[in-house]
Amino acid sequence: MIVAGVDIGAATAKAVILDGDELLAFSIIPTGFSVARAAEAVTEDALAKSRLSMGNVEYIISTGYGRRAVRFSNKVLTEIICHAAGVSSVLPQAGTVIDIGGQDSKVIGLDGNGKVRDFVMNDKCAAGTGRFLEVMAGVLGVAISEAGALSLLSREPCSISSTCTVFAESEMVSLRAEGKSREDILAGIHKAMAHRIAIMGQSVGFRREVVFTGGVAKNVGMKKALEDEIGLEILVPEEPQIMGALGAAILAKAELVKMHQAS
Amino acid sequence: MANYYDALLKLCGFEDEIKREKPRIDKAFRKLELGPEDMKRAERWVSENHDVELLGVRKLLRAWLLELFDLVLAKEEGKKVVYYGYPSIQGPGMAIKAASEEASKEVYVACPDTILCHTLGQIFNKLAPVLEAGEQNGLPPGHGLCSLQQIRNGGLAKGIIPVPDLVTSSSYYCDMGSKADELLHDRYGHRAIYVDGSMDSRWGEYPDYLPQRVDYLGAQLNKLFDTVNEVLGVEVTQEAWNRAISVSRQFFHAIGQLTRLMTADPMPISAVEVSLALQLGGASTGRAMTEGPEAVSILCGEVEKRVEAGIGVVEKGAPRVLNFSASFSDPSIMHMMENTGLAMSATLLSVPPPKAPYPTTYTTLGEIRAEGEMTIGMYHSSFSIAKRFEDAVKTLNIDGVIWSYLYNCRPSALLSHVVKKWVEETTGVPAISLEMDIYDSRNYSAAALRTRVEAFAEMLRARKATAKA
Repeated sequence: MIVAGVDIGAATAKAVILDGDELLAFSIIPTGFSVARAAEAVTEDALAKSRLSMGNVEYIISTGYGRRAVRFSNKVLTEIICHAAGVSSVLPQAGTVIDIGGQDSKVIGLDGNGKVRDFVMNDKCAAGTGRFLEVMAGVLGVAISEAGALSLLSREPCSISSTCTVFAESEMVSLRAEGKSREDILAGIHKAMAHRIAIMGQSVGFRREVVFTGGVAKNVGMKKALEDEIGLEILVPEEPQIMGALGAAILAKAELVKMHQAS
Repeated sequence: MANYYDALLKLCGFEDEIKREKPRIDKAFRKLELGPEDMKRAERWVSENHDVELLGVRKLLRAWLLELFDLVLAKEEGKKVVYYGYPSIQGPGMAIKAASEEASKEVYVACPDTILCHTLGQIFNKLAPVLEAGEQNGLPPGHGLCSLQQIRNGGLAKGIIPVPDLVTSSSYYCDMGSKADELLHDRYGHRAIYVDGSMDSRWGEYPDYLPQRVDYLGAQLNKLFDTVNEVLGVEVTQEAWNRAISVSRQFFHAIGQLTRLMTADPMPISAVEVSLALQLGGASTGRAMTEGPEAVSILCGEVEKRVEAGIGVVEKGAPRVLNFSASFSDPSIMHMMENTGLAMSATLLSVPPPKAPYPTTYTTLGEIRAEGEMTIGMYHSSFSIAKRFEDAVKTLNIDGVIWSYLYNCRPSALLSHVVKKWVEETTGVPAISLEMDIYDSRNYSAAALRTRVEAFAEMLRARKATAKA
């Protein structure tokens, strides 16, 4: 039973191929200009890694912002439902998912059965997203992949008053002019962003276990800032970026089982 | 000879009166700066967003357009003009209108901004220039006053709605209208009467209320009626109020029937059309009463046939949502919600409020209205709104609640969190608070809201499936 989940995010496209419960392969590529092309490319890449072709796939679910542009999918679902399913499959004890992607952030409450209990998301402004971190790291001349570890060396995190991407950028310039270290500025950025996520998630509530997904989950500084802010330990799956695609593939398998049972 | 607007007006239920009303229509469209291209766009917009297959819907659109013409031409046609604000205390506007008719005075009474939303927005998809005019004339974006005030300001600034003789401004529920009216008073010099009220109420008090609140609001309403007498020479009496009730009974009876029909499964028509009917009663004291009852009655008959035939606009068994998110100006947002498979069938008006005490112990018209407002009105307190949501969810067997709020709207932004928490705790039914602007969709389009609504719909479907299993 070969199924696929395809998650087309604003920054990256992800695809997961499952054979029953076994994860055969996954792929992550930049989304780029053509969403439809990214969907094809990422799926083809994951299939090639699995030594399969499109003809072998029995059911595909697409998700993410570009979900409707995936012409070859059988069903479309939102990333919120798919993240819940993906995280629950790898960490069944999960009670909350914090997902910070390229251009949005969300807090998802789980009901213990892999289903969404409640959710809240911020998709209107770049503040509180991966893009925000990218811009700030760029201003500080730090590679985004190093920003997290560097921020953990901070002795006195700066206070960042604004989490608006544009205004925060000018705030960075002022802080550098004051002679603040990169480490302290980065730690301040993570703290400000974590505070924003914590406030946003209050209405959903942070219940154990809290799982952090999305590209930003690879940032150890952000993980620590979130833990400090919500006062709970946070778990990060081995591949935090593919949770949406994995969830889509798991739900694709469920659809296929339902179809087989019906026939 | 054919007019450039014939096709649109016919689509909106006009018949022979196009010829008869031609001078008024020409004049109104000229003032509104609506030309042939606007009519073509409106034909497409109306066809895409309204169920014009239904005569009742066409008649409702006609009633809104006639109200728009009446508004735009009121001064030129020799009428005194009175505006009230939204959300309003139900009744004073109707009573002023009824009293004016009894005194044989030509007075136009309405809520102009909601009329512009439902016509320039819902029919012409051309509200942006009015909003921009409001922004350029003292209400810039981001300054904390809601877009409904920008629309009124823009309408006045562009000269498409007349400067009123009197504005009844109420900060009873929301203080934005009264603050904006101070600016408009400064700009245009019209008389404004401010109806203060106290929303302060102990949590858990509803449906009880402190008598002092009735005393205070009653005195404010009496002051309003005195000012109406002074400015218009019209005495608003209990008899006028009774007449207003009698005139409006037929319309609101039909509305009640329509909201009951919307509880059918599958949901027979879009909530867009129900909102057209509901809001007509809130915005207009004229065409709502003369054209409204027939339009809504025709619609009810047509909807009844759909219910009997099992015809719906969403799938049978779709999650039923208590909806506090109907856009006044952009029907595409509600259609997006319904296209995710949600039956946006119920509103707070689907469940009747507690009955007002009868006979009343109060003696003045203002006090009697204030007492009614405390018991049957929407705005007793924040708690009353939360409680009415709870009651509606339980009574109507609702699967989910969608509340919308604008970040700078103090009453709705605060309540978005209060109501969500209250509903979830007291009923176990999920609620979502959507940040949107029900008057101005420029920054809150259907596309921007889609992911959250779709995810909510998927969540409700999963809950229903689990419950069924």
